[in-house]
Amino acid sequence: MLVVKDLHASVGDKEILRGISLEVKAGEVHAIMGPNGSGKSTLASVLAGSDKFTVTSGEATFMGEDLLSLSIEERARKGMFLGFQYPVEIPGVSMANFMKIAVNERRKYRGEEPLTAAEFLRLMREKSAVVELDSKLTSRAVNEGFSGGEKKKNEIFQMAMLDPTLAILDETDSGLDIDALRIVATGVTRLHREDNATVVITHYQRLLDYIVPDFVHVLYKGRIIYSGDKSLALRLEKEGYDWLINDYKE
Amino acid sequence: MTIFELLEQGAVLPFAGGVIDSSTDVSRPLVVVNPTRLSVDVRTSEPVHLAVLYTESRTSSVEITLAEQAHVSLVEIYLAKTLSAVEIRQQRASECHILSAVLCGANTSYKIGLLGDHCASELDAVAVATGDEHATVAVETRHEVADCRSRSWVKCVASGRSTGEFRGLVYVAPDAQRTDAEQQNRNIELDGARIVATPQLEIYADDVRCSHGSTVGYADAEAIFYMRQRGLSEADARRLQIEGFVRDVVGRCRTAPICALLDERVVEKLSEI
Repeated sequence: MLVVKDLHASVGDKEILRGISLEVKAGEVHAIMGPNGSGKSTLASVLAGSDKFTVTSGEATFMGEDLLSLSIEERARKGMFLGFQYPVEIPGVSMANFMKIAVNERRKYRGEEPLTAAEFLRLMREKSAVVELDSKLTSRAVNEGFSGGEKKKNEIFQMAMLDPTLAILDETDSGLDIDALRIVATGVTRLHREDNATVVITHYQRLLDYIVPDFVHVLYKGRIIYSGDKSLALRLEKEGYDWLINDYKE
Repeated sequence: MTIFELLEQGAVLPFAGGVIDSSTDVSRPLVVVNPTRLSVDVRTSEPVHLAVLYTESRTSSVEITLAEQAHVSLVEIYLAKTLSAVEIRQQRASECHILSAVLCGANTSYKIGLLGDHCASELDAVAVATGDEHATVAVETRHEVADCRSRSWVKCVASGRSTGEFRGLVYVAPDAQRTDAEQQNRNIELDGARIVATPQLEIYADDVRCSHGSTVGYADAEAIFYMRQRGLSEADARRLQIEGFVRDVVGRCRTAPICALLDERVVEKLSEI
């Protein structure tokens, strides 16, 4: 589904990704962990097509197509979803209006007819229940005045609406209390199927109690320096990154 | 929908100015179209909804006096290149909310005099300039006496080769203690357009709370990225963002049938960007 080979990316003169290779297949859950500043969020942004970063070398394919030649919206319409670490507030733009355009763009890409107003409302109701998002919030402006937890729930709500093939969740667990974490994580788990895949970027093992990963990767200084199964996350929680980083330095 | 349809349906009432007192029917919004000289004297404490539409190029002056405890909600919609001066005079404990939408190259100025204590003035204005238009919103709020509060919130969007201009002044007289005044101005400059903003404070009293701010920005790149990541085209994302910026002001309209009309005109205007 997603194949990344030796990807390098910079912002200005500073190289942040220094040769990332990663393969994600349908049905898999990957967790990317690593100390602050290791490039986790940059990787997510680059895969989503952010123009803040320049890809200097390497390649990436998504569903067999050259990912790097696609625009941000083409990637999204083909089924790539990025759950933002800091969801953006957009004053005056209603969630409903925004989601309606987004859902219908995805449908158009799949060759489906746009939803009628009634169908769309039904979908909104059904999907907001997945993350217990107060239906009042969906009639408000995008993320405006939402609490931290509501913003993160809103990301997963949008993920449910758009039914992505590949969801990359950038620190969806940060700033959540225990209840919100459970709701968000359960929502993500419920959306997981054999024909889609999830990449979760996280600092904490506790998210992985709910979203059980098939693979755990450790990102350090712009490279994946170690990959393992879910037991790696437990070890990192107990021992920190030092043993790995030291290994890597030698 | 046009204002004439609303008048025909009886959703709003025609008005030519003069005194509004307890004998005046204020159950529906009172509407004035293209005034040259309009003088309104509000002497009732019933809430009064007044709407003024400018559809022809001309010079216009509007004077509204609010007696003690009067409540006025004024909506102004500029659809033609007008040179307009609006003066509001508020007596004790009166409240006035102004919503102004400048959807063309009009030059509008508001002078709000708070002449009695415990008055409240609120102004929400938006100017959208396209092509080679020059749209101006000037707001002068004068706190002449103590214990009044005022808030003005002005937004401009300029695209093409147009200019959006904001001039703001909050004046606080020497005896106007315990004044609470806020003036905020936000602008978006697109393409090769120009924004001119001159916010000013003139404060002669010492026990006051005054805040003001003015920013000029381009389209919010983070918001555009966010929307495109959800599958919206760049053009749709830009349009939604600008629409949201404007709707944030227009959404504060409190005069029901006029709000719907305003919404339509705003959508039409934004399609020119």
